[in-house]
Amino acid sequence: MSEIITQLAKYAEEAGTTVNSLRKEESLVEVSQDHLKAFLTHLVNDLQVTHLMTITGLDLGQNLGITYNFSKEREIINVRTIVPKTNPKALSIVDIVPGAILYEMELQDMFGLEFIGNPWKNQKLLLPDEWPADLPPPLLKISKADQIRRRLGLEAAKP
Amino acid sequence: MSTPPEKERKEASAGLMEYSTESLVPFGPIHPALKEPEYFKLVLEGERIVQVIPRIGYVHRGLEKAAESRPWIQNMYMFERTCGICSFVHSLCYSQAVEELTLYQVPRRAKYIRTIIAEMERIHSHLLWVGLMGHWAGFDTLFMWVWNDREVVLDLVEAIAGNRVHKSMNTLCGVRRDMPENMEERIVERMKFLTDRARYYREIIDTEETMLARTENIGRVSADTAEKLCAVGPMARYVGLKYDVRLNDPYAAYDEVPLDVITTTQGDVHALLRLRLDELIASANMVSYAVKNLPDGPIRVKIPPIIPAGEHVSHCEAPRGEIFYYAKSTGGRTPDRIKSRQPTMANIPTALEMLKGQTLADIPIVLTAIDPCFGCMDRMSFYDTETNKKWTWSGEELRQYGINYYFPERSKKKQHLAEALRSQTNRCLKEGF
Repeated sequence: MSEIITQLAKYAEEAGTTVNSLRKEESLVEVSQDHLKAFLTHLVNDLQVTHLMTITGLDLGQNLGITYNFSKEREIINVRTIVPKTNPKALSIVDIVPGAILYEMELQDMFGLEFIGNPWKNQKLLLPDEWPADLPPPLLKISKADQIRRRLGLEAAKP
Repeated sequence: MSTPPEKERKEASAGLMEYSTESLVPFGPIHPALKEPEYFKLVLEGERIVQVIPRIGYVHRGLEKAAESRPWIQNMYMFERTCGICSFVHSLCYSQAVEELTLYQVPRRAKYIRTIIAEMERIHSHLLWVGLMGHWAGFDTLFMWVWNDREVVLDLVEAIAGNRVHKSMNTLCGVRRDMPENMEERIVERMKFLTDRARYYREIIDTEETMLARTENIGRVSADTAEKLCAVGPMARYVGLKYDVRLNDPYAAYDEVPLDVITTTQGDVHALLRLRLDELIASANMVSYAVKNLPDGPIRVKIPPIIPAGEHVSHCEAPRGEIFYYAKSTGGRTPDRIKSRQPTMANIPTALEMLKGQTLADIPIVLTAIDPCFGCMDRMSFYDTETNKKWTWSGEELRQYGINYYFPERSKKKQHLAEALRSQTNRCLKEGF
């Protein structure tokens, strides 16, 4: 196990979780919303894992998963936090990783999440401005491509 | 009628004063000729840019959603269509993420062929970009020379893959086509030709006054800022960050092929030009090495259409920087979730920092410098807040504005020549040749 992962295991323990290995040099840590910011601060400031590749959203049925994909040399570190679909709000990490700003906006559009503390959270990034409020966010499993096409009047739905 | 209280009046006039020194310029989003429409809201103070707000998504086609209803192998060819320049690296990165989910190993020969095509793609993408930079700087001769040389590498790609841009070379756990026989000598010779040309272009950009005036000391950003904003690819390397996936997390055959990662600390657009030309030379050397040392063996392994459950991340170094794919399977014929992130998305925050403090004339060159080609907006509307006057410029007019800003004498001379040519043509048309 590399030095970063050994250190990471310590911080994960503080946050009340463990580091799971997905394969050699790729690991996944599931952190609750309460511990997320403290954990990421350790990761970025103490371990110098500064490069955030992207933020991946996941539809997990009852919940939404937000995965922060970090990389440092050969190591890929995925930090996942779970928020319920009934209250899709998460804390913005722009103050820790300024490069996260557009990725958070992308998740806002695609999963209907709200990132508290993101300076541009009130504007759309990818979806059209006229996206109807009653349509579910497109990357949720309940959203269907046909339904979106019909609702936006893009083309006739396929039979 | 009562007059408003003193305080309110002061506030109102203060707001007015502030408003009149800053103007808002909407920039974009449509250009019929180029690939990526983007929109930027620019806040200008006089001629200088103080704030930029991006708005992207005009060509968002919902590929991630579409991937959830298609088989694994079809998705690869769909994601290859994400980009019309660096198409191969998308399918490579996707297939690597999926290959991690299976227990099959990619044959060594396939890894080498993937490396060769990926590096050839880098060469053609960098040549395309150098040409565009020449065009936006008002140096069209460079554009024509460079794009002519780009044909050399595109012909090689066509000879190997059967297609110039969408190669469809990859398949899950291998490649679809073997290298043609007797290509080695031809490839090495062409790579040497391209290396010589790149050296010549480096000499030109270091000495030519047009390029120096338009690129030196323009688009500066500090290494610290670029690191914080998670810049990738040449945008990280031009300020001295040694961030290259080929070096940090080698994939395909990059752990066997000698790799030369180029960084510079000069940190302006001119440095980006030099860096990309140097990378082009490094890529040409890598292609020559890989072709000479191509191992024998099979080129693919057949795998079942059902991918075991699991999730993996893969990242690769595209010509523009790191690309990222995430694949999640629940053990079915179609993926549960695919996430793709392109290098331009990662570089937008850094590009916004580069733009701050620049003049309006520098916008095309700075936006082209990050290599997404959205410096090519065809319509810009301007609004003067003091006189309430509105007007619109096409991309060509903005380009001319940039050139005139830096070289007023030359544009006068050009106008004079153009007028002389026009009058001569008119005379010929009237009086006969």
